[in-house]
Amino acid sequence: MIGQKLLVILDAFPYILQGAGVTLVIVAGAMCIGLLIGIPFALIQIYGHPLLKAIVGFYVWFFRGVPILILMFLFYFGVFELLGLNLSALATTAIVLGMTSAAYQSQIFRGAIQSLPQGQLKAAAALGMGKRQAISSIILPQAIRTSIPAWSNEYSIMLKDSALAYVVGAMDMFTRTHFVASRTYEHLTLFIFVGFLYLVITVIGVKILAKLEKKLRIPGYTA
Amino acid sequence: MLKKNLTILVAVLSLCFTGTAMAQTVVNGIDANYPPFAYVDKSGKPAGFDVDAMNWIAKEMGFEVVHKPMEWSTIVQAVVSKKIDTVMSGMTITTERQKQVNFSTPYWTVANVFVVKEDSDLTTEQIIASKGRVGYQAGTSDGKHLVEENEKEKWGLNLRQYDSAPQIITEVMNGRIIAGEMNMSPAQDAIAKGKAVKIAGVYGVKEDFAIAIRHEDKELEKTINEGLKRLMADPYWLKLKAKYIKAEK
Repeated sequence: MIGQKLLVILDAFPYILQGAGVTLVIVAGAMCIGLLIGIPFALIQIYGHPLLKAIVGFYVWFFRGVPILILMFLFYFGVFELLGLNLSALATTAIVLGMTSAAYQSQIFRGAIQSLPQGQLKAAAALGMGKRQAISSIILPQAIRTSIPAWSNEYSIMLKDSALAYVVGAMDMFTRTHFVASRTYEHLTLFIFVGFLYLVITVIGVKILAKLEKKLRIPGYTA
Repeated sequence: MLKKNLTILVAVLSLCFTGTAMAQTVVNGIDANYPPFAYVDKSGKPAGFDVDAMNWIAKEMGFEVVHKPMEWSTIVQAVVSKKIDTVMSGMTITTERQKQVNFSTPYWTVANVFVVKEDSDLTTEQIIASKGRVGYQAGTSDGKHLVEENEKEKWGLNLRQYDSAPQIITEVMNGRIIAGEMNMSPAQDAIAKGKAVKIAGVYGVKEDFAIAIRHEDKELEKTINEGLKRLMADPYWLKLKAKYIKAEK
């Protein structure tokens, strides 16, 4: 009995592992989109024009408030459709997760920037630096470093949320597992197995980010 | 080296992101959780009765076809919004669906059944009178029928919705539901694979499977209907049935 279940897993392993690649593409895409939107949004929320602040505030409110599941359907069948974009399920998943992550990441960076001593900007001004230069060469390098722990948390959340790719049919780890389960009727066995795979990938990613955090730590600086 | 890697990365990414839009190639959506009509085989390729049938039609009629596994409950929406062009995947003709898409001529008639544990003595009548927990698949015409009839006739069944027929089979086996309602074919598939379930009896009316096509794709509809006609007259049709459909009635 156990042997038979192991055989099912062994059989499905290469197929599901390819799905791990898809899952990682989704997560990497989402994290990048989140980073690229998140940092400017964080800056706008602190230093920006009131109108821009309001727009970003609305964005964050919307993407934090609506379930990702609903956003997936909304964008896959609605928004992208209206824009005339025929995006694949994979691209939709990465973009929707990325836009959601941007809302959270903007808050991560906002917190990191605001936790820096306020006198730094004044000191920079005293040295003759413009605000723009002070932010890009003094504030951000510190804020991004101190954001890594929270960012690694965001990574593990994104990884798990990527399983939502299932609802639009992107061939990620979970969708593939479900297909194999449908053929073999070994749902429980396979779901335990794929759960374990998610755990392993989470741990690996978090470990890498912890290494990065250590490497980039500012000597002698404690936040 | 880096440059080469980058080129490969860009190529892979653009492949991932181009989506389904390719001219001339018909994209057929399937419910890969629906053996024996459509599933993915051990190597991860789409397979099943409907996949082979569609491939034959495409070859006969001279067009390219690729099969794309989709989530079933939104598959009609996917045809309308051009994510896919057709659905040949055990889809029953219903009036609701006909508002959204056209259907080819029917190619398969199937009964719906209740599946119970192998050692259960329940009949269809007893299941209906049981007020027990019964499973059905989301987005299916027979599931909808069951929900409506349960409401109208005040059977008092505790109906549970699932994503796929195999999930229902698993739930019947572990006893969380006393019976599961589904098409005859996936039930027979489970039994043929040695799962500890049996068919308690038929339920509801027989249903016709047909291929869903967008309203405006008249040319494709004509081609597919002609292909279906030829397929069903060909000896390959019997071979397909023998290969996939166990214990046909």
